[in-house]
Amino acid sequence: MATIQDFNGVNPTWCSGCGNHGIGIALKLALTQMNLDPSQIAMVFGIGCSGNMADFINVYALHSLHGRAIPNAIGIKLANHKLPVFVIAGDGDTYGEGGNHFLHACRGNHDIKLITHCNSLYGLTTGQTAPTSQKGFRSKSTPEGSVEIALNPLIIALYSGATFIAQAYAGDTPQIIEILKKGIEHKGFVLINILQPCVTFNKINTYQYYKDKVYKLPADYDKTNFDEAIKKANELSAERYPLGVIYETNKPTFTDQLSQLQEKALIDKERFTDFSDLIKEFI
Amino acid sequence: MSKYLWKIGGEAGFGIMTTGHTLSKIICRRGYHVYDWAQYPSLIRGGHNTYDVVFSDETVTGLKWLIDCLVCLNKETFDLHKSRLSSESLVVYDKDDFDFDGNHIKINIPINKILKDLNGEMIMRNTIALGASLALMGGDLIEFNDMIKTQFGRKGEKVVESNLRFALEGFTFVKKNYADKIKPLLECKECDKKLVLSGNEAFSLGSIIADCRLYAAYPMTPATSVQTVLSSWQKKTGIISRHAEDEIAVINTAIGSAFAGARSSVGTSGGGFALMVEAISFAGAAEIPLVIFLSQRPGPATGIPTWTEQGDLLFAVHAGHGEFQKIVLSPGDVEEMVELTLEAYNLADVYQLPVIIMSDMLLSEAHQCLKENRMDEMIKTYSVNKGKTIDTVSQGKYLRYKDTEDGISPKLIPGTKDSYYLANSYEHDELGRSTEDSNVRIKQVNKRARKISTYLKNDFALPKIYGDINTSEIVFVSWGSPKGAILEVIKEMKKKDINSALIHFTHIYPLAKEEIKKLFVSGKRYILVENNSEAQFGKLLLAETGIEIKEKILKYDGRPFWPEEILEKLT
Repeated sequence: MATIQDFNGVNPTWCSGCGNHGIGIALKLALTQMNLDPSQIAMVFGIGCSGNMADFINVYALHSLHGRAIPNAIGIKLANHKLPVFVIAGDGDTYGEGGNHFLHACRGNHDIKLITHCNSLYGLTTGQTAPTSQKGFRSKSTPEGSVEIALNPLIIALYSGATFIAQAYAGDTPQIIEILKKGIEHKGFVLINILQPCVTFNKINTYQYYKDKVYKLPADYDKTNFDEAIKKANELSAERYPLGVIYETNKPTFTDQLSQLQEKALIDKERFTDFSDLIKEFI
Repeated sequence: MSKYLWKIGGEAGFGIMTTGHTLSKIICRRGYHVYDWAQYPSLIRGGHNTYDVVFSDETVTGLKWLIDCLVCLNKETFDLHKSRLSSESLVVYDKDDFDFDGNHIKINIPINKILKDLNGEMIMRNTIALGASLALMGGDLIEFNDMIKTQFGRKGEKVVESNLRFALEGFTFVKKNYADKIKPLLECKECDKKLVLSGNEAFSLGSIIADCRLYAAYPMTPATSVQTVLSSWQKKTGIISRHAEDEIAVINTAIGSAFAGARSSVGTSGGGFALMVEAISFAGAAEIPLVIFLSQRPGPATGIPTWTEQGDLLFAVHAGHGEFQKIVLSPGDVEEMVELTLEAYNLADVYQLPVIIMSDMLLSEAHQCLKENRMDEMIKTYSVNKGKTIDTVSQGKYLRYKDTEDGISPKLIPGTKDSYYLANSYEHDELGRSTEDSNVRIKQVNKRARKISTYLKNDFALPKIYGDINTSEIVFVSWGSPKGAILEVIKEMKKKDINSALIHFTHIYPLAKEEIKKLFVSGKRYILVENNSEAQFGKLLLAETGIEIKEKILKYDGRPFWPEEILEKLT
């Protein structure tokens, strides 16, 4: 059985106090506790501080381009749907550069676990405004304050067809582990939006900020109730951040619905050789 | 026999395409060679569609200017193409639609009356016209009737019956009224079975034979029909044809599936290809095998979407930021399309890089025939070569980007037990981990570059030579679809006792400088022929080999070359 050491790559280079440390450890622990080993997992990493985790964790990994991790993950899943596929990317990567892919991946209910490190700015490029920054956020790219309102990823995922939508907080590692394990067990498109203070550049969304504004969903919260989930997701615009599984429903995944994949994974199938059957179409 | 051109024209949306394609198949089944091409505007209804079918008992590789039989389903067809008619040309039309002056042979068929009397639909005017045409060309209705039954079978007995009836009405009307105009052009001949194939269909077939498991695309003319064909074959062959949200997702999906171990390809035209460019660089850096089918149309921007040009060569060759390796192949006809498609998938796997297959609207959509036994031979002699792809790890730590002599590192299928690795878009060490170390960087750059030296040594193919360069007065130099027209030109010149030859490049990038230079001798008239305005291959040849071809025949009006216009330019 794999231990957390088996998953350890090179030592993380994240800033001291960065929320990524907690997320990274939580992820490795969740995988270990789910009895998975590094050879049984595929992960695609975006470009940004969170994507740098590619070097810090041992799995079959693809360190992608900025914004393109989701379609890479869809490709991996189509080729080998028996492999659990994860996407690790930031909020700028997922909701900005890759926004279109995010939207359509929800629609397809692709069986991918998308773990977004949401620090509400662009950390690796030294702190510019992100799609999730609050309106008025001052940064190097918006010195007079951003004009746009913050994007609400939970609402988009809910309305676009994602079947598992959760929110976690980098300051609460045990809860991240718990949500990750539920997400790994879920079949279908999983969004886990992890709120993560950037200690170096974000002077607004700090640990102190979140401490006052996050709360755990109560034990009797009905995660299968779509309307309730919309209400919870909408709280983001009032800067209230519910933590936990906000919505879960069971629907066939994308690959479940492809007749080609009913028996074997695409890469494990025998080569098709009845070419005469195709050639006759042209005579 | 000399080449014969039958051409039909009418309003878009009324079955012109199907009718032309049907005639091509009939001609092939009767033992003749065919080359056809449809011209249509970028809209669904209301524009003008025409379809050229050129045939002969000898091989046909190109278009023909002079029309031998023009079928006019509207007046516009006659007006637009009358300059291509001679006094010998037949004009099939209905006097109820329009009439014309001019010294051509009138074949007036009461298409509208037949249609009305028998309660037919507008689209069935084609059936009447094709029945009449078959009579004029000395054929019969055997093949046409067969095709009607297959084509309309699922629409029910009534539709089949009525189409058979209309074919017969057109046919017998000519037999009764224009018996003196009938020429014995399509008498049934013994011959090998032939496929009627477009370039896109050839790429699709080649992809299946090459064991491609995933094709991703976003519809874009003129590459769209690859997606149509491969999507329709999903159940039969097990391939996944993925229609993603945009071309960026398309190529990144294919990169994901190729990383996971499935042979993968994408297809598009210039605009879509432009969106893919960043990911091509990714495939280069991470060493992901990928086949990219690029069917060119006239740009820039949206350009002239449904017409033809070879304007994306230099863009394709240089596509992607940074320095990385790719191979560009360029078939000139459907047979080469099958051959090079098969080869492209092997090259991508062997060298772990993107391989681009260049097509254009003419090659992608024009149909040519290909002998079935040649197809069978290509299938039999092909073996899927995945190079250094491995699914077990021997002792020691697996190094994805191992520094090897030939530049190629073993590629492990993800999911293999007891291992893992990182495929990386960042510069990386042998393990795949990101690095900024200067020595490691140099090592990896050199390793990747060595793949191309290995390719040039083992798999690069010199251009094909048609004719004899030594005895030729004129040597054409070209790539891609102009091949067909040039071969027709060489044939015509031969009739005038002028020897000419063609140097036809199929492996267009990278180029093996020293070997290519030997093909260019001093004192000979070399003429570069390209379907673009900037002589892009000429520039590439100059940059890569130092060879400069001064005399050029270039065409960039969105139309392909007619052999006649090349001949005219030579004098």
